[in-house]
Amino acid sequence: MQNSQQTARVGLFFILGLALTWVTFETLSGGRVFKNKGYTLIAGFESLKELKEGDDVRMAGVKVGVVEKTRLAGRRAEAILRIEGDTKIPSDATASIVMAGLIGTNYIGVDLGSAGVPPLAPGSEIRTKVTPDINAIMTELGNLGQKLEGALGAFGNSMNGDGRNPGLFQKLDRLVTENGERVNTTMTNLQEITTKLNRGEGTLGKLVNDPALHDELVAAVGEIKTTATQARVFVTDAQGLLAQVKTGKGPLGTLVYDEAAANDLKATVANLRQVSDKLAKGEGTLGKLINDDSLFTSAQSTLRKADRAIDGLDDSGPITAVGIVAKSLF
Amino acid sequence: MKQLLSIFESFGSTLELLVRAGSYVGTLPRQRARFIEQCYLIGYTTLPIVAILSFFIGSVLALQAGYSMQNFGAKQFIGSLVGLSMARELGPVMVAILLAGRVGSAITAELASMKVYQEVDALVTMNIPPARMLVLPRLAAALAMVPVLAIIADLVGWFGGAIVAKYVAFISIEPESYFAVLRRYMVFKDVLNGLIKAESFGFVVVLVCCNIGLNTRGGPREIGAAVTRAVVVSLILILVLDYFITKALM
Repeated sequence: MQNSQQTARVGLFFILGLALTWVTFETLSGGRVFKNKGYTLIAGFESLKELKEGDDVRMAGVKVGVVEKTRLAGRRAEAILRIEGDTKIPSDATASIVMAGLIGTNYIGVDLGSAGVPPLAPGSEIRTKVTPDINAIMTELGNLGQKLEGALGAFGNSMNGDGRNPGLFQKLDRLVTENGERVNTTMTNLQEITTKLNRGEGTLGKLVNDPALHDELVAAVGEIKTTATQARVFVTDAQGLLAQVKTGKGPLGTLVYDEAAANDLKATVANLRQVSDKLAKGEGTLGKLINDDSLFTSAQSTLRKADRAIDGLDDSGPITAVGIVAKSLF
Repeated sequence: MKQLLSIFESFGSTLELLVRAGSYVGTLPRQRARFIEQCYLIGYTTLPIVAILSFFIGSVLALQAGYSMQNFGAKQFIGSLVGLSMARELGPVMVAILLAGRVGSAITAELASMKVYQEVDALVTMNIPPARMLVLPRLAAALAMVPVLAIIADLVGWFGGAIVAKYVAFISIEPESYFAVLRRYMVFKDVLNGLIKAESFGFVVVLVCCNIGLNTRGGPREIGAAVTRAVVVSLILILVLDYFITKALM
């Protein structure tokens, strides 16, 4: 009984030791001895920075593997990435060394790549990009600080002068000193103007202080608005009319856009011109009527004869009237 | 010169004992009961003192590191300092020293008594080699148990450091941060180095103590002298071997 208890305790103790060793191994190295599943990819960098074996490989922040090995390969450093399970890395995905903390914790970050792109084959090389590490950032900050210091120095010189040329402050000081009297006068004038304004003197003062003037101004503005409204209606109507003309509706539209009507009009005008030319030349009956005075004279004589005939008709009776008229005419 | 010769003689007899014990490795399965008994003595009964000491060593290490590191803002690295120190150096050395003080002295006292009281001679007379019956189970038990003690010492020391780092006012580092830094700057190889060192120390301590015990001459007074000598030689050998093994494993 004693011996069996002793054996059990020793066995338990030994198993405890093995278990603790295993837990430590899992914690510190990711326990890769029996986990060589998945496939490997090669990521080449100029420098692996603080990356070490056992660091995570994360795709969009999700752990998909570990850095199995780091090695120098010619003029670059390579990290062998073990991608666990059946995670597919698209062939256009890019790997970069990402800093997870200020104490030097790094991991390999892989982006999602494009959808529909064939996955990388086991053992192939993944594309990489360089990310600035903390030292590069600090160097850039140092350069920025130097530039800022230079810019501030130049600004200070322009404000205070550099010994030879006076700065902006000196120039302002001299300007104020030399023109002090004028500035005083200007300020006094400004003060007088504002006092007058306050009292309601002058046009501007009345405008500011007189309510009646304000009302008139408001009424005038109202009228301007009404006129503007009417003008707008007029313009709208004109636009409607113009639109009708453009569409060829109405007489004006027909005249403007109907080619047959335009040709008729042209022919009419040409005819009118011919008629007027004939009239001017005294051709035809109407031309002669207009241009020949003899017709007028003979007509006048005829009318006189007719007048006399009528007078004679009154005396000799209607029977002879026809004969008289015919005689006078022919 | 005489002392130098004595040292070489001890060295030679220890190697001779190792070879003789090694020649009986095949008999180990038949000595299962003795092996278990020695495992119990070397491993199980040593565990409490190893746990207590490693807890406080880890704690003190964190305390001292926090005190000195707070001046230059490196407190967050306490985890890695305690972790590496315990795993690579303090854990194995402390286990080996405890083994020399607690188990090695007991082994030497037991074997020296057997030698002084001629029990070893009786075994030889009965054609039972002392190297097979007395030394081999102890060496095998040391090989099996010391790494277990070392890994427990490491882990308990780490937790001791984590507790101090959290609850001491001027350190105040959360255990998550402590263990994150520890994980960040440690690999299993560090722990493995420590286990190899502990294994080597434990084996050498048990072998040396067995040899000194079996080579005791004289009466009961010599038993005490042998125990003292065994502990002193073990401690010296631990520290000397520590340097060379550390250098070899780097």
